[in-house]
Amino acid sequence: MKSRSQGRHPGARPSAELDEPAAFDQLYRDHVDLIYRFAQRLCGEADAAKDIVQDTFLNAYRGFKKFRGDAQVSTWLYTIASRACLRMRRKRKGEPERELSLEEFIPTSEGEFKLQIPMDGLTPEEALQNKELRRALDQAIEKLPPKYRMVLVLRDMEGLSAKEVGTIMGLNERAVKSRLHRARLFVRRELSARGIARQGGTGTEERMVP
Amino acid sequence: MRRRSRTAPAEKNRPHQRHGHGKAHCLKILKQLSAYLDEELPREVCEEIRRHLGACPNCEEFIESLKQTITLCRHHPVRPLSSTAKARLRRQILEVAASL
Repeated sequence: MKSRSQGRHPGARPSAELDEPAAFDQLYRDHVDLIYRFAQRLCGEADAAKDIVQDTFLNAYRGFKKFRGDAQVSTWLYTIASRACLRMRRKRKGEPERELSLEEFIPTSEGEFKLQIPMDGLTPEEALQNKELRRALDQAIEKLPPKYRMVLVLRDMEGLSAKEVGTIMGLNERAVKSRLHRARLFVRRELSARGIARQGGTGTEERMVP
Repeated sequence: MRRRSRTAPAEKNRPHQRHGHGKAHCLKILKQLSAYLDEELPREVCEEIRRHLGACPNCEEFIESLKQTITLCRHHPVRPLSSTAKARLRRQILEVAASL
């Protein structure tokens, strides 16, 4: 049987209800990499990301008949995945939400103005070959309160617009931009003040994709 | 951007003091840096920020490090899902979906 979404752009709205295994299979194939990448960035763990993928697609299966196509399929899946991830994190770690104030990001000492590991003259890919920098970046993102992390991941890592992020998170654009700014300042501070060891690796280990 | 110092006289020579503003002005700039980098501000506000950055080396360093942070986030690497894991997940999902 030919899939309903076969031959279409992955972001396009499916034209009919998803009630056939082939159509669902196509939805999975078109979006599994996207959702796994998003989940991994949000949860920071490969196993948890796989659980999120499973949860997301099963919820997508259950909810497809209610999906009216007001948003792209990818936006809809991001929404389901983000809720699944927040549920999982609350359940596992009881991560507290907290507000970030701008005042706390004002540098107060030498060494807080620049990044600890300089990336002058390097492409971002080259800079991220440094495993210490990569680890510091991962830890900074991990330390972000969930609602700020979500905005940073969606906007700066997944490359969605502020409007799309607002749709996914149920926020207006102003709130998205406010949270994004604080999240960026938080990560910047973590990368500047952590005292990262400078003898980081040369990045010859496992292959990663941006 | 103001740095704390016990030596008050040295403050007089700090860049933000030399061009007639203090921490409050740096904080005002800091609040707008993402919007500035994302090109969301009106031209005149951008010009004001550029003037400040040109005269305040600490803010200039700060914005450069913020820009680098955003660049790193945009290129944040992730390990792709292996073909084996993808196939296993697909099978598990389809099995559960078929039973719904």
